[in-house]
Amino acid sequence: MIEFDDVSVTYRGGVKALRNVSLTIDDGEFVVVVGLSGAGKSTLLRALNGLVPATSGSIQFNGTEVVGAKGAELRKVRSQIGMIFQTFNLATRTTVMNNVLMGRLATVPTWRSTLGLWPAADKELAFRALERVGIVDKAYVRASNLSGGQQQRVGIARALAQEPSVMLADEPVAALDPVTSHQVMGDLQRINRDLGITTLINLHFLDLARSYGKRLIGLREGQLVFDGDIADVDDDTFREIYGRAITPDDLLSMDAASGG
Amino acid sequence: MAETTTLSPTRPRKPRLRIRTVVIAIGIVAFTIYAARQSGWDWGSFVTVWTNPLWGRFWPIDWEWVSDRNNVLDPLIETFQIAVVATVIGCLLALPIGFLMSNLTTPNRPTFVVVRSVMNVIRAIPDLLLAVILVAAVSIGAFGGAIALTVFSTAVLVKLFSETIDGADPRPLEAALAAGGRHTAAVRAGVLPEVFPAYVAYSAYVFELNVRASVVIGLVGGGGIGRVIEAQRQFFRYDRIFGVLIVIFIIVMIIEQISDAIRRRVL
Repeated sequence: MIEFDDVSVTYRGGVKALRNVSLTIDDGEFVVVVGLSGAGKSTLLRALNGLVPATSGSIQFNGTEVVGAKGAELRKVRSQIGMIFQTFNLATRTTVMNNVLMGRLATVPTWRSTLGLWPAADKELAFRALERVGIVDKAYVRASNLSGGQQQRVGIARALAQEPSVMLADEPVAALDPVTSHQVMGDLQRINRDLGITTLINLHFLDLARSYGKRLIGLREGQLVFDGDIADVDDDTFREIYGRAITPDDLLSMDAASGG
Repeated sequence: MAETTTLSPTRPRKPRLRIRTVVIAIGIVAFTIYAARQSGWDWGSFVTVWTNPLWGRFWPIDWEWVSDRNNVLDPLIETFQIAVVATVIGCLLALPIGFLMSNLTTPNRPTFVVVRSVMNVIRAIPDLLLAVILVAAVSIGAFGGAIALTVFSTAVLVKLFSETIDGADPRPLEAALAAGGRHTAAVRAGVLPEVFPAYVAYSAYVFELNVRASVVIGLVGGGGIGRVIEAQRQFFRYDRIFGVLIVIFIIVMIIEQISDAIRRRVL
């Protein structure tokens, strides 16, 4: 269970990225966060795992206070939260396996991971994570030799290797083509259903949000402006969140992508 | 036509040469002329230097002396060994120190400041002076020279390597930290793979520098072929020194080729 209570984030330089956001997410939910770029989507996810420290308010993760957490306590929280990035964030010059094993860093002693002496159990977890995203055959290929979609799958496998209870995905398909986007979104949906991992995804394509989300959260200028069932969402809702009419650029569908 | 003139901004005039630029240029030229006068610079000596009878002593090369392995080959092997030991130990030390001295990977601010200050001081000491001091402090011969070169290698490589780390992609590190990794483990997993090829390439370059520097360090008592050159110079045996120089030239060329090949492969 995740509870944001009156959370604000102000960056150095005075930019207010989140303003008094309060929300509760139950275990196993599949939540899509939408909003214009700069609306605070990325900050919302990063505040939860402490990559961006919240300036005020409280963030409870399974009963642990994340705001102000440091050292071992913060690492423990992070180890339970997998994260997937827009630009994949792989160490491209090493193997897929080494990237997936990064997901085991929190539990493996530093001397072992530094020398590359990973315990067999952790390698097994990494292999299973790769099998789940269907690219186990690439385990010993250099990450830079994979396509964009394959690289994002490595990113998902890395997060799965953590055996997380929550998965954060920050614009996971923004760097991918439409077909690959749907495959990756499908992977995330399956993981949510099969493993019961609570999933929070930032998206900026509205049609993707509609076809994969269950619950929709809308952010506008750092404020929570919508929180509800995706079934109740219509174009007016999006207009409210975006502060303007919907354009083809907001849609991923083939027609829009090809300029139709 | 009328439409274009109203739509596009007017063409700018070519900016004039700024007065500051002109003043700086004149200043550099004036100071160079002054410094040349003060140091007794004389173009004529580029011609007259060749009339010095010293050059006659370089020829014919004493190949018989050069080809005796006690005279050249063995000291040269010692020089090579100094360079290898200094490079390997220096580069091993530079790997962790480089990470401490980069803004991206340093564990905290105080560590960064202390490491950077110490490295700046070491780099500010000319390597030859370092050799003179260490040879006096440790021992005359190969060991003193090797220590001096090790310190020198570490300082050079730390500088080059830490700047590479500064420019490395921070995103894999973010991912490793997001997975709950400790700082050291996250740097190892997220940054090292990205900068390791550059580290290998720089190490090859440092080895190249060390082969040349180890010759010079021998001149001040650091052992190896430098000591031989210095001894022969005291007896004015330039015919032998010329022979040694040719051998060194060939070896340095070969090592540069190998080092170039390594760099091309990894980068």
